[in-house]
Amino acid sequence: MSLLQEVWQAVKAIGTGMATVHKRVYEDAPTEFYPYVKPDLPPVSVQSLALVENEDGSERCIVCLQCERACPAQVITIERHRNPEGKGFLIDRFDIDLVNCMYCAACVEACPVSSIVTIQDFEMSTYDLQTLKADIDFLHEQARRARQWYSPKFGVELRTEDGRIEKAPPEMQPGGLAELLKPAEEVDS
Amino acid sequence: MNPIPIPEDRHFRPRLLGYDPQKSRPWLERLVYSAYVFVFWLIVIGTYAGVPALFEALGWNAGWGFVLMRALQVVLLFLLSAVIALLLILVLRKYLGKVQERYGPMHYGPAGGIQTVFDALKLLAKEDFVPAAADVLTFRLAPAVTFVASFAMFAVVPFASGWVLADTNVGLIYLIAVSTLSAYGVLLGGVSSGNKWALIGALRAGAQMVSYEIPLALVFLTVAVWAGSLSLGRIVDAQLGLWNVLPLALSFVLYVIASLAELKHIPFDFPEAESELIAGYNVEYSGMSFAFFFLAEFVELFLLPALIVVFFFGGWHGPLFGLEPGSLAAGALESLYFTVKTAVWVWIFLWIRATLPRYRDDQLMEFAWKAMIPLALFGLVLAAYLRLIWR
Amino acid sequence: MSTMSLEPVRGRTDEMIVNMGPQHPATHGVLRVVLGLEGERITRAVPHIGYLHRNHEKIEEARSYPQVIAYTDRMDYVSGTQNELPFVLAVEDMLGIEVPDRAKKIRTMFFELYRLASHLVWMGTAMLDLGAISPFLYTFWDREIILGIVEKTAGARMLPNYYTFGGVRRDVHPDFFKDTADFLDHMERRMVDYEHLVLESPVVHARTIGVGVLSKERAIARGVSGPVLRASGVAYDVRKAFPYDAYPDVEFEIPTSPDGDTYARFWVRFQEMYQSIRILRQLVELTPKTGPHKGKAPARIKPPAGERYRAVENSRGELGVLVVSDGTDKPYRVKHRGAAFSNLQIVPDLFVGAKFSDSIAILSSLDPVFGEIDR
Repeated sequence: MSLLQEVWQAVKAIGTGMATVHKRVYEDAPTEFYPYVKPDLPPVSVQSLALVENEDGSERCIVCLQCERACPAQVITIERHRNPEGKGFLIDRFDIDLVNCMYCAACVEACPVSSIVTIQDFEMSTYDLQTLKADIDFLHEQARRARQWYSPKFGVELRTEDGRIEKAPPEMQPGGLAELLKPAEEVDS
Repeated sequence: MNPIPIPEDRHFRPRLLGYDPQKSRPWLERLVYSAYVFVFWLIVIGTYAGVPALFEALGWNAGWGFVLMRALQVVLLFLLSAVIALLLILVLRKYLGKVQERYGPMHYGPAGGIQTVFDALKLLAKEDFVPAAADVLTFRLAPAVTFVASFAMFAVVPFASGWVLADTNVGLIYLIAVSTLSAYGVLLGGVSSGNKWALIGALRAGAQMVSYEIPLALVFLTVAVWAGSLSLGRIVDAQLGLWNVLPLALSFVLYVIASLAELKHIPFDFPEAESELIAGYNVEYSGMSFAFFFLAEFVELFLLPALIVVFFFGGWHGPLFGLEPGSLAAGALESLYFTVKTAVWVWIFLWIRATLPRYRDDQLMEFAWKAMIPLALFGLVLAAYLRLIWR
Repeated sequence: MSTMSLEPVRGRTDEMIVNMGPQHPATHGVLRVVLGLEGERITRAVPHIGYLHRNHEKIEEARSYPQVIAYTDRMDYVSGTQNELPFVLAVEDMLGIEVPDRAKKIRTMFFELYRLASHLVWMGTAMLDLGAISPFLYTFWDREIILGIVEKTAGARMLPNYYTFGGVRRDVHPDFFKDTADFLDHMERRMVDYEHLVLESPVVHARTIGVGVLSKERAIARGVSGPVLRASGVAYDVRKAFPYDAYPDVEFEIPTSPDGDTYARFWVRFQEMYQSIRILRQLVELTPKTGPHKGKAPARIKPPAGERYRAVENSRGELGVLVVSDGTDKPYRVKHRGAAFSNLQIVPDLFVGAKFSDSIAILSSLDPVFGEIDR
């Protein structure tokens, strides 16, 4: 009888498995229709890098070379010269080799002025890899086309319709549970 | 500094054939499948009722005219097998998609309905490559052998009462002979490819053939004993009161398992096991040669469930609603019953494919020799005994 | 097994030599095994590795300590942050950095989330190797949820570069705990399905029970670790033997099986997933919702001269790292002890004498990841 029992067990298990599979017919597919519908990425998502300018078009970057030092893949190349009028430095060259970049966002962590930021534009497919050897104009263009970007220092920043840059409202800010919860508690009490 | 131009929209966006992916339209899918089934049904009616009626009207139903009529019917059946393959591949992909929480093909035609047509066109346009190490003649012959062997099974499958190309009195023996031939195609294709994986696949196919053909033949014999005839038409007629599935339940189960093995279908797809032998016997095939292997596989995926229906589920039988038996309308309705019953079995086979992993080849062999053959023999004796005391 | 290539034996015509890999669908990447086949039976097996070699350890010697973390991610690319932890722990030990309790718990949560993700990938690919297509799609959908949770906080899905000396890089997303709790509910429902499809399936039983038996002594002698070792009956788990991070605070068990066959390895991984869910449930409750996520770490990481070995229990076993410092801001030597690499050593032992189909099942039960093996 044990043989019959074994056969029955096997048949039952196959039946259960088939029922389990069939159950999925009635569930909705979680497919994202990517080229037609853009995915809703979290604001911290590191998809590409950009170099943000100030609202008046002046350079936010102070050319401190922190990002160049922090980069593990060593894809950032910066050349600078001392500003003849006034303090600081001016950029001669600011290149990021986005082909070899590994998108670890170490440069964004290191930037003291949130000039280099992460953006959500992941569509960088190209027929020519040379187009991804980004120079400063490329990086500025990336920032101009971005609606929002993230850096650990300033959080999420938005570009408004009239071209101003402002900090995103707290509900859009990721991380920092402490900061977010504090005002809510105060309102409650 | 020369800025790299960034085009406004530098990303490829495929054009859609009027399809909105977010709008779910199940009725459209049903419409597409219904269209395929309707075409299928139309060809069946045309083959078995239209062509003979045409030749009778022309007065050509004797001598060479008869031969011409049969030739035309065979051409139509080839068309039918193409429709079956296109439909079944689409259904397989759509069904696996549904089961696996994705969508399957959806971009070409309404609800992806003509995707397989494009696939077939692609295969036609591809180079038919012959590897340097291959035995060219055998390599070229193998897909033809496989396809012809599968296609030849159509000759004895009755779609409705009298709707069969050759209702011979040795139909079952013919089936055994022809279905065994298709394994030869696989064997020749694998051995002649000059590829080690293909060789292993071919050897597995050979071993598998030897193992499952015997229980399959024994089940055929059981059905023949029960019906008292080797003709498929008579076997169906004998099930008018009671479908064979009830008295021959044991043989039925064995037949389903053996059909899965004959189809090289999961859980017994050893000759082409993708994850083990990459694609097994057809790894070196491309273009039309590959398409013929594929066509043969899907024609068999229709024909073996069809034979299950013929042997165990009363073939074309169903309520006729007062239609005169033998008339065109009755034949059409009967062929519809037959098609629907077969479709249910095809679905069950696809369902098995979606669920189960693969056994090991020696386990099938062991099962075939140690369990299936004794059980099939037992089923044969049981059927003979029941037949003696019941009828 | 000292020969690198497999020469045909003179006068033996019944043995066929085939190359399984490096482009084979069931070798989980780029493993190449040269097999001597006698019909379906494997007579000889020589594994070849190195097709994905990236000179990992040497690159890390030329990078500063914070930069190395981004590289460690790239080893075992299906278990993300798990690779960062041993290096981070070793450097923290050398510098004596205090890690806040909350940071430890967040780290452990990510660690266990990635264990679930990795085991889901294993389950899908193992079933794909055995011939079932559907579980692969199901597990990958579930893994998507985990990666989504990670992306919300860490910014990347597979290689998040999230741990740092003294804690984690940034505080978790406000939804993190709720998302994780929801996912655990979902996962518990799904585990029932997976039991039906994998552990209870008679076809899986037929393919795995009694196949590729690895004895306890052999397992210890070959230095395997993780689920493969525990399936051979050795209850060794770094999380219990040398606890790190928040593991002393949570309750969990080490599932072991005395059988040592392929099914036992499947079973142990399944039980580990249940234990991961259990750990995560506790941590969702235990972790303070607010507090520091990072301790005080010096701006320039310069550990004093010396060396330190730290190991963690990642999805595949003991993942260790030996950091040798010469007092500068770059490590003098970084040596990784890869779990998948050590586990792969038993391939010739288990393959020889097995059927060819069995070799696929055995290999998938070892769950190799070639990013880590080839480094």
